Amino acid sequence: MLLDSYDTEGLFDEMFDGGREVRAHYQLLRERLDTMSREELDQKIKNLETLFLRQGITFTVYGDQRGTERVFPFDPIPRIIPADEWQTIEDGLVQRITALNLFLYDIYHERKILRDKVIPEEVILSAAHYRPEFVDVDVPRDIYIHICGTDLIRDRDGSYLVLEDNGRCPSGVSYVLENRMAMKRVFPNLFGSAGVRSVDSYAADLLGTLQYIAPHAKPDPVCVLLTPGHYNSAYFEHSFLARQMGIEIVEGRDLIVVDGFVYMRTTRGLRQVDVIYRRLDDDFLDPKVFRKDSMLGVPGLVEAVRRGNVALANAIGTGVADDKVTYAYVEKMIKYYLDQDPILKQVPTYLAWDEKDRAYILDHLPELVVKAANESGGYGMLIGPRASKAEIEKFRELIIATPRNYIAQPVVYFSRHPTLTDGTVEGRHVDLRPFVLSGERTHILPGGLTRVALTKGSIVVNSSQGGGSKDTWVLHPSRT
Amino acid sequence: MLSRVADNLYWMARFIERAENLARLMQASTELLLDSETLGSRYLNDYWDPVLTATAMEEQFRELYPNGTAADVGPFMTLNEENELSITMCLRNARENARTVRDQISDEMWTELNDLYLFITSRATISLFQRAPENVYDRIIQGSLFFHGITNATMARTEGWQFIQLGKYLERADKTSRFLDIRVHAGPDGTSLDSIQWTSILRSASAFGTYRSEVGGEPTAEGVIDLLVFSTDFPRSIRFCVREIDKLLHRISGAPSGTYCNAAEREAGRLLATLNFGGHGEILERGLHEYMDDIQKVLNDLGQSIFDTYVILPQDQLRLTFIPSSESQQLRWQVLQQQQQQQQ
Repeated sequence: MLLDSYDTEGLFDEMFDGGREVRAHYQLLRERLDTMSREELDQKIKNLETLFLRQGITFTVYGDQRGTERVFPFDPIPRIIPADEWQTIEDGLVQRITALNLFLYDIYHERKILRDKVIPEEVILSAAHYRPEFVDVDVPRDIYIHICGTDLIRDRDGSYLVLEDNGRCPSGVSYVLENRMAMKRVFPNLFGSAGVRSVDSYAADLLGTLQYIAPHAKPDPVCVLLTPGHYNSAYFEHSFLARQMGIEIVEGRDLIVVDGFVYMRTTRGLRQVDVIYRRLDDDFLDPKVFRKDSMLGVPGLVEAVRRGNVALANAIGTGVADDKVTYAYVEKMIKYYLDQDPILKQVPTYLAWDEKDRAYILDHLPELVVKAANESGGYGMLIGPRASKAEIEKFRELIIATPRNYIAQPVVYFSRHPTLTDGTVEGRHVDLRPFVLSGERTHILPGGLTRVALTKGSIVVNSSQGGGSKDTWVLHPSRT
Repeated sequence: MLSRVADNLYWMARFIERAENLARLMQASTELLLDSETLGSRYLNDYWDPVLTATAMEEQFRELYPNGTAADVGPFMTLNEENELSITMCLRNARENARTVRDQISDEMWTELNDLYLFITSRATISLFQRAPENVYDRIIQGSLFFHGITNATMARTEGWQFIQLGKYLERADKTSRFLDIRVHAGPDGTSLDSIQWTSILRSASAFGTYRSEVGGEPTAEGVIDLLVFSTDFPRSIRFCVREIDKLLHRISGAPSGTYCNAAEREAGRLLATLNFGGHGEILERGLHEYMDDIQKVLNDLGQSIFDTYVILPQDQLRLTFIPSSESQQLRWQVLQQQQQQQQ
């Protein structure tokens, strides 16, 4: 049997408890896995990879002239979350996104939280993604982050911690939907009557979220998805979502601004656009306002947004909320705006711009994880305990040179999950990225992307650096 | 429909059709070569010149193979990725266009085209090509035919479908006219074509069976021209293709047939009239090569007019505030910026 020699090595494991007993919500899966042989499983995985490749469910590897495409590695042993646990996650995420949206409104309007000195003013005003151009500009329904991907990890005792908020252009949701489709197709008998909640409503909820922010609450607004283009690593996702929602996927050159309104260029002339789900960084949106050399943006778009003639999701300037320095203050925000205690805890964070913290960081580099404040994808990161002397010294210089750009955290723990490896099934570290939609109400997709670090011992789960993914099953309340 | 999407669909179809036609041409030419086994190696090398000329690859071939021989032509035209016009590159272009507009085509269309691309770029295919090139050509032809069949069976007859058909028929008309032109300056002593060569041309256009049943007898210049240029029923004849183009253009614009509301419709209508009222006599009198050359020019203009009417808008030239100097630099710049976008 596949799981017979499985060893948790005394670490927190999703499937097995400390006494190496299968947790109750994994019992059914365990029984089903026991009926499968390794050969059968391998064959199915091969079929699955062929399926992904044929359907072009791939990401583009950069730095390769031919634009090589790879299949995002998929592990067939699903991650299961019982209903009560999920309820806590959901409550925590709703609380968090509510606070973040209130914070963004505040920062771009009265700045009460700064005046009350809950957050030091300089932290916000020096954030790379803060957009002074949008101070006092109203956005539809006062929502800034419409689509958020929040990364969660589990501490040594199993409690969920927020690792970071991705409030600009979070990606990965297409894999959630495709993984589910693949699991149903290739492992129908694993599903059976497991009581797994469906993820099918995401596209409809996303479209509803976009329609909700249409300027002047216009009925039947024209929504489009703005992509950087098919050389972007996430292009598959862009085209997948556009198709699921039944909206046009456009590039910057398909759009044109005339008299402050945005139009798309069609074979029958210009057609007005009301809402843009953009998968483009702020910097590239409009060469007239931000980067002048942007070939991906739309000249005049920002003016159209200011005039309220078109809505953007996410709004411009949300990066100030998912800045890793701002992150350190989110618990305080929740208290300040909602007068509640945070439901989901987060990782203790030292800020290099603060003199006392900086001294601590520089003294403890070999024990800490250092992160650049505005990078994603696992780049610009130092994992102290695994770094060479030279790497540590390089980061020491970086931190001293631009302290605002760095934060440090103790090495965090990622829970492990049984994962298929070459020879057998072993524990691999996983995280969880649920997707949050804020529109008329807040939707949390029941599931999310479980990313798994396929290299033994590694905690880097990013697809660009050897990560894979798992289907994530949230169980119906009646099944717990 | 977005102008750019119309353009992508049109080119997707053109590139697939081009790959299919090239595959059939290579197959027919290789077979013809087997019938001419007594040829010396010098003639053997000359044998491919007209094929390279007709497909506009002659210069590229000399560049990549300064001492190229007959044996180099097949790999060069089929799998070579340095040859921008090879079958592999056609299929890559078709697929890139399809990938850009995946939300507009059916899953089945995408899967078929992607399969064909994965086939042509696989290692197994490279070795198969050395052993049995005809199997590779068969698969390419079949893939293209499947693709068009799937398109017809799974896609709504919307504007997108019409632009796909436009691309297919324009490319097909162009290729048929080029195949007819191939052997004209070929024979060892420059004399007229014999029936073996006409047979090869018919095969290149998948028309040999039809010729037998509709015309009959040994292929002659008159018979082949009647079928490949003027037939109203054979789907690869130039007239058939132009008639379809004319119909499609009117369906897209809504203008009544026999009238025109843009340059593309006017050019298609005029060419169709020439074909409707023409015959093999005038072609043979004027010279097959000259006549086909003219047709290719009109088809080129037609393609440009379609682009001008439906894709490019006058504002296009003014859009960029920052323009890298050369086109290739511009592309590289664009790729770089697209990749820079953080997908968190």
